[in-house]
Amino acid sequence: MRYVRQIATIAMKDLRAELRTKEAINASLAFALMILLLFSYTFDPEQEMMRQVSGGLLWIVFAFAGTLTLNRSFARELPNDCLDALIAAPIPGSALFLGKCFASFVLVLAVELVSLPVFGIFYRVHWTEQFPMLFLVLLLGTWALTVIGTIFSALTVNIKLREVMLPMLIYPILMPALMAAMRLTTLLVTGQPIPEDDMAWLKMLIGFDVMFTAISLALVETVLVG
Amino acid sequence: MLGPLFDAAVWTALAAAIVAACASVFFLRTRDFYYDSLALAASEIGLMLLAMGIVAGATAGRIAAGLWWTWDSRLTTALVGFLLYAPYLMLRRAVEEPTRRAASAAVVSIFAIFNVPLIALAVHWWLARRTATFSLAAGWMILPVALVGFGLGWVRLRQEQRRRAQDAERRISQEI
Repeated sequence: MRYVRQIATIAMKDLRAELRTKEAINASLAFALMILLLFSYTFDPEQEMMRQVSGGLLWIVFAFAGTLTLNRSFARELPNDCLDALIAAPIPGSALFLGKCFASFVLVLAVELVSLPVFGIFYRVHWTEQFPMLFLVLLLGTWALTVIGTIFSALTVNIKLREVMLPMLIYPILMPALMAAMRLTTLLVTGQPIPEDDMAWLKMLIGFDVMFTAISLALVETVLVG
Repeated sequence: MLGPLFDAAVWTALAAAIVAACASVFFLRTRDFYYDSLALAASEIGLMLLAMGIVAGATAGRIAAGLWWTWDSRLTTALVGFLLYAPYLMLRRAVEEPTRRAASAAVVSIFAIFNVPLIALAVHWWLARRTATFSLAAGWMILPVALVGFGLGWVRLRQEQRRRAQDAERRISQEI
């Protein structure tokens, strides 16, 4: 119970700081809408082909916009040595990590839930018809993005080339999760339920989340202290 | 000739990745920098083998089908594996402090090795519509390639050890 309260304290602190300054979420949202618009110059939005690539496009937007938020996750603690204070705080490193994870998760999910209807309007995909399942895919994919993003944000926080290194490190590791999310999203925005053959992708996504959450929790003390 | 070379290079690279991950775990447990050198040597040799394998595989495709890249699932897996391990070396260059550098690199190596089977599976599923070949066979080429790989890895490990010893002596003599 105390552990849950510690996680909630860290998560609420991050969310409150973000909602007061809005430095990451505004950039992330503007960036997401910008890429959505730019895609319309790459493909003819009227064509059927648009629906076949829609899941891929959507997750590229989410992954790129999410990185902007995740980059700030630990970097925001650098001024005034706040990071040292957090590491010295009487809470386990895993609580700090999970708190940061949940805060980023909420922010990234908020950006996604704004982008999704815009995407639906611009490109006429049927995102409402299978919404509960699509929302599940969104939750699982976003958790994969935030858990990997947060642990590598902590790993790269003291590096000179932080903004460059984070995407370089996380995209290859995220590849199985992104492929699964892209495939499932493409299927779901056609308005049909997931076919039996493609349920394996959902299992892959769940497996990825469980496995990498466990590995991150096992290694978080090493990442934070060195 | 080129097809078996690709198989052998990829399998040897996988062995190198496993060695690197084990050495990384040992480093985090013991904090003995010998294991850090071992992980570095294994990762470098693995990346070299992957690069060689990708070139061999693409050339084999060019000879057989007239196309450099046909999105063959094994070739694509090798490419993703290369992209997975290339940032490992970039991260090592970016971190100044030796203990911090070794620990960060070890974490990346452990994350990467758990990702390898997932990537192989996902790429295979994704491309299965086009190419249904998923063989685990490695031909006779595995023997010379693995020998060369391990030989080079050993040389690289010795060289890295010597370089670190020299750096240490230089620092001591500067302090005096």
